[in-house]
Amino acid sequence: MKVKICMGSNCTLLGAMNLLDQIESLREIIDENENEYKEEELEIESIKCLGYCKEVDSDIAPVVIVEEDVIFNATGQIVMERIMDKMRKR
Amino acid sequence: MKESYVDLINIRRKVFVEIAKMAYEDTDLNELEKAAYNIIPGEVATYRENIFRERAVVEERLRLTMGLNVRSMSEFTRVTEGIDEVNIDESRFIPDLVNVITFACEACPTRAFKVTDNCRKCLAHPCTNVCPVNAVSIGKDRAIIDQDKCIKCGRCRDGCPYNAIVEYNRPCAAVCGVNAIESDYLGRAKINQEKCVSCGRCIIQCPFGAIADKSQIYQLIKALKTKKNMYAMIAPSFIGQFGALTSPEQIVEGIKRLGFKDVVEVSLGADITTLHEAKEFLQKVPSEIPFMGTSCCNSWALMVKTKFPEQYEYISDSASPMVETAKYIKKKDPDAIITFIGPCISKKLEALREDVKDYVHFVITFEELMGMFVAKNIELSEIEISKEVQDASTLGRGYSVAGGVAEAVKKTAQLLDPSREINVESASNLADCVKLMFQAKAGKKNGYLLEGMACPGGCIAGPGTLASTTRVKKAVEEFKNKAPYKTPLDNELIDDELKNK
Repeated sequence: MKVKICMGSNCTLLGAMNLLDQIESLREIIDENENEYKEEELEIESIKCLGYCKEVDSDIAPVVIVEEDVIFNATGQIVMERIMDKMRKR
Repeated sequence: MKESYVDLINIRRKVFVEIAKMAYEDTDLNELEKAAYNIIPGEVATYRENIFRERAVVEERLRLTMGLNVRSMSEFTRVTEGIDEVNIDESRFIPDLVNVITFACEACPTRAFKVTDNCRKCLAHPCTNVCPVNAVSIGKDRAIIDQDKCIKCGRCRDGCPYNAIVEYNRPCAAVCGVNAIESDYLGRAKINQEKCVSCGRCIIQCPFGAIADKSQIYQLIKALKTKKNMYAMIAPSFIGQFGALTSPEQIVEGIKRLGFKDVVEVSLGADITTLHEAKEFLQKVPSEIPFMGTSCCNSWALMVKTKFPEQYEYISDSASPMVETAKYIKKKDPDAIITFIGPCISKKLEALREDVKDYVHFVITFEELMGMFVAKNIELSEIEISKEVQDASTLGRGYSVAGGVAEAVKKTAQLLDPSREINVESASNLADCVKLMFQAKAGKKNGYLLEGMACPGGCIAGPGTLASTTRVKKAVEEFKNKAPYKTPLDNELIDDELKNK
């Protein structure tokens, strides 16, 4: 499972590093209760600006990509829920 | 920084970008009347009960960022009132630095112990039994605390087996180490400016974003557009602040692209301060003064000055790393106009001091700098640069983490005089600093080097930071190890004269 967090200037200004901290902290929750989660590793990558915000007028930062889904105006609770849903065993 | 206050942080930073853009684009300042609509668009409120109040609060933030005072709500005043005075290319300080935006304040009740509905009216009721003033009784539904009788000792809370009693406090007052938060006639927070040492904790702690400091970014950008000999110096905690992919070298180069001629690490000044303080300690303690306090944290020094005036002379005479770095730059270029970029808002006051104002001309925070990068469309992580940053020693680069100053001074003093045993003690929040000073005043810290810092964990937790302290602490550690020199005594940029005993 791959999560990418945009570290462009705009995203950094609007909390990208906090999102990174929050997403990394999920590993602790997963490690504590290994049995409830898939064995897949949670890969977290900081990426350079993808240029989305330069293409549109509206505010879209911060940007996070969870597997193939691009999330605009990413908030901790939305991104973390998305990841946890995908990581949890059904 | 309170990282989880996401919406508040974003509003604050969007205001910095807005003002920085206006400065870069030479926008007519009458447009300030419209700026709140850019930050809070549409007609539906997101953050407060209505969008008019949201915009009104943003307008005050815009004014404070311009360097202007908060308006009084009882008389008609335009957003642009007084704008000519700050539409200049030099810094102009209009007191006070830290301000309550009164109509953003929700007048939170003051400190009290309250019984929640966790209470089961138990038979043992330790809450009543342990109360030293008989203020707790068992009511119809739960225990009741008579607030007139309560002396706020907290024993009922500690004794309750259901965690049913909580301590309630207004966050601004709870975090203030010098008890400077009072109330106005409507119960809203009011800062006692006589007591306030501008550490900025209340600014980042208020969950309604009702407290803010003034900025100088507008005037700084104007100066960058008109003046050539602009220099920046960047505080040791800058590492890791500007995005997880950005290297220290890219940050320095990015700052140059804003129009600065050169950028110097404040860690260099930290090396110089270390040498001064080490020598001062060896010379004065204990023969002239019983103990010595470090001088680099302005809020700590101000606190000692106001609360312990008799002990103020025991604070080191050495200038802070900010000032030493500025003096170093001035020596090389006497016409230099110097900007300090750091995590700290207290430095905005230090720069106004009679003995500092000719060296430090602007002070901005990392957050404000990030606003400038965004306004100028600078992508830090894409800058190509190979030149390394090499101004300071490992010890100087450690200044931003609690304990780092004392460690640097101690190690250097012992290199200068290996026969001396040096005791150090550190406090890194204002309340602990006050306690430490009470002990020192009572003679319990004689012979000690006392390191005082107002922010929990040191400068890396300053109110003007962008990254979490854990992230920055790790990054600072790595950067320390890459330093070209081990101690200030090895630093080739420092005059040999200063290194002699």
